[in-house]
Amino acid sequence: MGQVVDLLSWAALLGGGFFYVVGAIGLNRMPDIFTRLHAVSVSETLGVGLLTLGMLLQAGVTLVAVKLIIIMVVMMWTGAVAAHALARAALHDGEKPLLADATGALVATDPVSLFPELGVRLATPLKSEIVEEETPEDAEPEAHAEAGYGEDEEDANPDAERPGDAGKDGR
Amino acid sequence: MMFAAAIIAVLIALTLAVARALAGPTAFDRLLAANKIGVGAIMLLALFGFMTGRPEFLDVGITYALLNMIGTLAVLKFFRYGALGHAQDLDRDPG
Repeated sequence: MGQVVDLLSWAALLGGGFFYVVGAIGLNRMPDIFTRLHAVSVSETLGVGLLTLGMLLQAGVTLVAVKLIIIMVVMMWTGAVAAHALARAALHDGEKPLLADATGALVATDPVSLFPELGVRLATPLKSEIVEEETPEDAEPEAHAEAGYGEDEEDANPDAERPGDAGKDGR
Repeated sequence: MMFAAAIIAVLIALTLAVARALAGPTAFDRLLAANKIGVGAIMLLALFGFMTGRPEFLDVGITYALLNMIGTLAVLKFFRYGALGHAQDLDRDPG
């Protein structure tokens, strides 16, 4: 019995370590922020989950196991939230994801051209954006902001954001 | 022994994450690497506690897990708004 648990623990720890290293390699090898985010998210859910599972098997039914479960739940939760917030902040900052064009070459593509409802959300200007215009990367989103500013201002803003928020509300 | 193997894997991953944090072209790359370093530190603490038979390190790990999340979100908010407070200026959330 003890050997079976040890074997499972070995497998979980080695698997977790493998996925954790794979995530770090992806962090270095991937071409842009969004793909790196994907690689790291894998390692922060699967890798951390397996590593914690391996330690849980060694801990048995103790207070230590409860603490490990707390760590695992917190990391799974916050890892996903932090990855989402990071991707959203990168999009709002004007980062353009690398997408394959017709020939298969990677080009930095404006995501608004593919998803118009995303443009509505990105175009909603913030007070801080109107006041300070200093970073040169902001040039492109500012253009969107000015284009969509007039129509967004008159009609109710929640209506303009509704299509983009549908997924958030339905969750 | 099995914990030592996992610790070595986490240390390799941490080295690679530090490389990305130093090289990262944008602030988001560095932040992502910093987040991963934080998670790796928590795993390292837990694994080291188990390896040396002192699971009290897990308490430190829980604290780090909570701080890591708050730290990432705080830096993101700082990049977004240029400030961490001033709720009256954040009247319109982009959604």
